[in-house]
Amino acid sequence: MADSAFDKIKEGDEYSFVVKNFNRTQFVKYAGAGGDFNPIHHDQTFAESAGLPTVFGMGMLTSGMLARVLTDWFGATSVKKYGFRFKTRLWPGDDVTFKGVATKVYSEGGIKHVDLDLTAVNQKGEVLIESNATCRPWKP
Amino acid sequence: MATINPPGFPIERGKIHEFANSLQDDNPMYHDEVAAKAAGLPSVPAPPTYTATSAHFSSGDDGSAIKSLGLDLRFVLHGGQEFEFVRPLFAGDVLTMRTGEVKSFVKEGKRGGQMKIFDMFSEYVDQNGNVVIKVKNTVLQTGGVVKDG
Repeated sequence: MADSAFDKIKEGDEYSFVVKNFNRTQFVKYAGAGGDFNPIHHDQTFAESAGLPTVFGMGMLTSGMLARVLTDWFGATSVKKYGFRFKTRLWPGDDVTFKGVATKVYSEGGIKHVDLDLTAVNQKGEVLIESNATCRPWKP
Repeated sequence: MATINPPGFPIERGKIHEFANSLQDDNPMYHDEVAAKAAGLPSVPAPPTYTATSAHFSSGDDGSAIKSLGLDLRFVLHGGQEFEFVRPLFAGDVLTMRTGEVKSFVKEGKRGGQMKIFDMFSEYVDQNGNVVIKVKNTVLQTGGVVKDG
């Protein structure tokens, strides 16, 4: 699956998926899995004490989901570089589109590499996170 | 709350399964060891951001890593992160995290007054002594409540 994606890839190719209606349970599930117990992500009282209307999702939940663009497309072991910057917070109820675009296809050390720009955008068109990544086939 | 941490940071099949589920990721490579081995991998691979789970193996569990920088959790935001993977991680690996330098600087924020920015560099070394992942993690503290929009 992964190798054929590298065979077919062209600059400008895109891959995306949508996750609808984020909820607090997903934040708590990620807290348990990832180990981020900052109460700002699960404790309504604490969030209000910081002047927020409610809890918001962890950036690492958004970035973990955005990485799926890479691993769904090129395979679970394909990621060489993955960097991201958080722009706007993820709120309960958000619908988010996760998308990647291949910006450069090239060979390095005889191995095909793909550079990508990625974004996660909410239902209002606000960018939650922007990212740059590089994928290449990896063999044990 | 008591936090007990074992030495090292074990990469575990059950934790990979749980972590992938929390990202709604149904890639069989993360959930099925037989499928992973059939694909020629040593075991199930870890998703790219899996090292976030190292929080379970450090005192960062209670936010003390943040507090040690003198930050107020109410106004701390994760700015971003950069990973460079020398190789993928697999269940069975045991990593040690080496923290490197912290670069801090101050920036005028658009919405929340002055921002303190901390770039924290680290790397993960595997059971054979090889660096497998290099990380730059950016944390921000805003001057106060940040309003969106």
